[in-house]
Amino acid sequence: MSGAASLSSRLPSLGRVFGVGILVIGFILIALDLSMQPIEAWMWWLLIGWSTVAFVYAVVRGQMVLYVFKRLLEAVFVVWVIATMTFLLLRFLPGGPFDAEKALPPDIKANIEARYGLNKPIFEQYTTYLRDTAVGDLGESYKYLGRPVSRMIAETLPVSFQLGFYSLLFSFVIGIPLGVFAASKHNSWLDNGLMIFAISGVALPSFIVGPILILIFSFGIPIAAFQGLLPPALWESPIYYLLPVITLGLRPAAIIARMTRSSMLDVIQADFVRTARAKGLSEQVVLYKHVLKNSLIPVLTISGPLIAGVLSGSFIVEIVFGIPGMGKHLVQSVTNRDYPLILGLTLVFSAMLIVANLIVDLLYTVVDPRIKLS
Amino acid sequence: MFKFVALFLITLGAMSCTKTTSDLSVTTASGEKLTLLESETLRINIVSEPPTLDWHRATDTTSNWVNVNMMEGLVEYDFTNKEPKLVPALAEKWESSEKSRKWKFTLRQNVKWSDGQPFTAQNVLDGWQRLLNRETTAEYAYFLFGIKNAKAFNEGKLAFDQVGVKITGPNEISVELERPMSYFPSLLTHASTYPIRIDVVKKFGDAWTQPQNIVTLGPFNLKSWQHDKMIVLERNESYFGPKPTLKYIAAYMLQEQATAINLFDSGKLDSVHQLPSIELRKLRGRKEYREAGSLLLYYYGMNAKKPPMDNLNVRKAIASAIDRQELVTMLAGGQTPLTGWIVPGVIGYDKSVGMPFDAAKAKEYLKAAGYADPSKFPKLEIKFNTNEDHQRIAENVQAQLKRNLGITVELKNEEWKVYLNTLKSDPPELFRFGWLADYPDPDNFMSILASYSENNHVHYNNPKFDALINEAGALEDPAARAKLYLEAQKLVLEQDTAVIPFYAGVTQMLVSDRVENYPINVMWRYQYKNVRLKSAVPKDAVKK
Repeated sequence: MSGAASLSSRLPSLGRVFGVGILVIGFILIALDLSMQPIEAWMWWLLIGWSTVAFVYAVVRGQMVLYVFKRLLEAVFVVWVIATMTFLLLRFLPGGPFDAEKALPPDIKANIEARYGLNKPIFEQYTTYLRDTAVGDLGESYKYLGRPVSRMIAETLPVSFQLGFYSLLFSFVIGIPLGVFAASKHNSWLDNGLMIFAISGVALPSFIVGPILILIFSFGIPIAAFQGLLPPALWESPIYYLLPVITLGLRPAAIIARMTRSSMLDVIQADFVRTARAKGLSEQVVLYKHVLKNSLIPVLTISGPLIAGVLSGSFIVEIVFGIPGMGKHLVQSVTNRDYPLILGLTLVFSAMLIVANLIVDLLYTVVDPRIKLS
Repeated sequence: MFKFVALFLITLGAMSCTKTTSDLSVTTASGEKLTLLESETLRINIVSEPPTLDWHRATDTTSNWVNVNMMEGLVEYDFTNKEPKLVPALAEKWESSEKSRKWKFTLRQNVKWSDGQPFTAQNVLDGWQRLLNRETTAEYAYFLFGIKNAKAFNEGKLAFDQVGVKITGPNEISVELERPMSYFPSLLTHASTYPIRIDVVKKFGDAWTQPQNIVTLGPFNLKSWQHDKMIVLERNESYFGPKPTLKYIAAYMLQEQATAINLFDSGKLDSVHQLPSIELRKLRGRKEYREAGSLLLYYYGMNAKKPPMDNLNVRKAIASAIDRQELVTMLAGGQTPLTGWIVPGVIGYDKSVGMPFDAAKAKEYLKAAGYADPSKFPKLEIKFNTNEDHQRIAENVQAQLKRNLGITVELKNEEWKVYLNTLKSDPPELFRFGWLADYPDPDNFMSILASYSENNHVHYNNPKFDALINEAGALEDPAARAKLYLEAQKLVLEQDTAVIPFYAGVTQMLVSDRVENYPINVMWRYQYKNVRLKSAVPKDAVKK
């Protein structure tokens, strides 16, 4: 009995070990990436492995095994519905992959369509597609000859992921302190100023913010001293990351700042905050340790949609800054009616969103132990 | 809070201090690290990822942009004069017999592939066989359908030895055509007819176009291909012609032209093509601006089967109510207004043919069509594919028809593939289309309107027209050909008024001052073998 009790009393610290471990590995990877050092595959596997173990631990510990199992089953169903809908919508969309400006002789076109099995009955195409997808074969692009879709995604996803990750990091690192700061100076001119800034951040689309930032930081308009400070495009090294990351991260940063502020203002009036202040704790400790931690739930709630926003918004930023990511394929593949590429990208995007939302839901229980998922 | 801001600013400062050099470092697929010195590297933007570098299967301008620098055909263009001239490349000379139904090509000797193997006549035959082979599924297989039995071979009805191409000497190829084609050598400038090392294709399958596998013989070799990012070409030291002075070509794939112009302005790109039309007025004033005519025909088609377009006088009224000069002035891109079907720089171009702008006559035609009161004119739509330029043109046409004829037309745009589908299944009354020539011969333009052409979206069908262009295609004398093409144009434009040509396109680009001999021509054919660079980007070229 006593052994079991001491084990269970030690368990929470194990959770902390996992959490800190993820952070440490994450920081090392970020540092390597930013200093242009190669990241070996085993480091990714270490992060993935560690996170999976931590995830399983958290699920078991939080008695959420059934819940997660249910969610995963749901996810499989959702992915199947998405795959089927996309497949059908594509076939009903007028215009085929091999319609071109210079029309082909019918026999040549038929021969090409036969190569990709497009001459078969639609149900047969559908079952072939499902079977191939189930074993991880996403097919070959119709437009980019001889390139398997899975490899195209593997080549471009890391770049988009890098952009999305740094943008989210930027938005949290900027948004949360700004929100805390504004809340602590409630109703002052600083608070008002910051919130005007935040609302502009939400309102301005990235295809306006991007070019404005380029004008200022690359071409020195209107401040000549900034000319040539940052490169206007490409994705070569960390200095190239700055403008696109800010462009993509500005909107979520503004949303997070506003959310943090209003949530802080709610919490700041709670009794336990008065107690903390009465205990003589410094304002910093009160704000960051007591108020902020209790204000994070709403922020966490919008993180799921924010991830979706960053992923889908990356398309414009990738184009404006000439970044070789996945975003542009998402639009162009539809224009090209490149069925395998569209289907592959849709699946990857939906899987990423489902996983992100699941993780956000699970994080609730970490931030607020009162929440029980079932 | 301030700590965060301070930290951010410090990071920003530290990052901007890390020097960004103008030389490029590239790691090839085999792990080799290259430093591309700015002084010997031409940095261009090819706009998008090439769908393939397999020249037999490529059909787009981007892939060919790369291919024409890695490979050569039997015949090449000389663009020094206004009308492109054919000059020898892999073929030293050629001659025709039986009124250009039979051709004989003598190949250059001592040409080597990039792996050291000699170039042979068999490579040419292998290339043509591969293009025509049904299993290659090459879209441009029809390019060589003029060769005897080639179509039957493509359809799988005959073996390749029945096709009219033979090796008739150590360096000689003989070609027999289905019918006389005086422009046959023009076809051999096209990348889809280039020779190939079939052993390499067989060995590597689809991966034969990878830098470590591909074997070429042009002025540059493929050194690295980072998908969606950059292609690097390296000078071919064993190229049979004069050796290029460029060591490398770095080809970026930037879709957004504003982005490319930004990089050009910061000295990271040496040229930008396909300038955004809305900014042309501003860009034309720059000293780096260049433009040249192109073999692009922009026209409006009319479906003569649908009312009110089934009325010849309505078609004539619309054709004469559009002032092409006004249209071109609005576009401000240097396009040439057209009334004829053949663009400048090609045999048969004639300013006088077609329906010129004449508002008074247009009204008469409309009256003759039974619409003395234009308000009684039925509903009419202009259809075009979604695009800023097509929209601007359609709006201009709409205004001109209102002003010159008093009729109201509506505009409707469709997404590109939807639009192509509409043209094929149910061509609208009035619609826009374009044609970029594959080779600078009038046949390439005229045969669009042949009754049997897949590209004849107006379904024009006049046996006399078909007979005229077939007869002209067989002739060798340019003057005699021009005469027949003029007659054919009169038929389709003046007598039947099936289409309304608007203008001949133009290529606009920015080219850095440090580049000499940058290729700019009517064919969008950008071969960089003669380009020279002044050592570095001039300081004053970097714009604020």
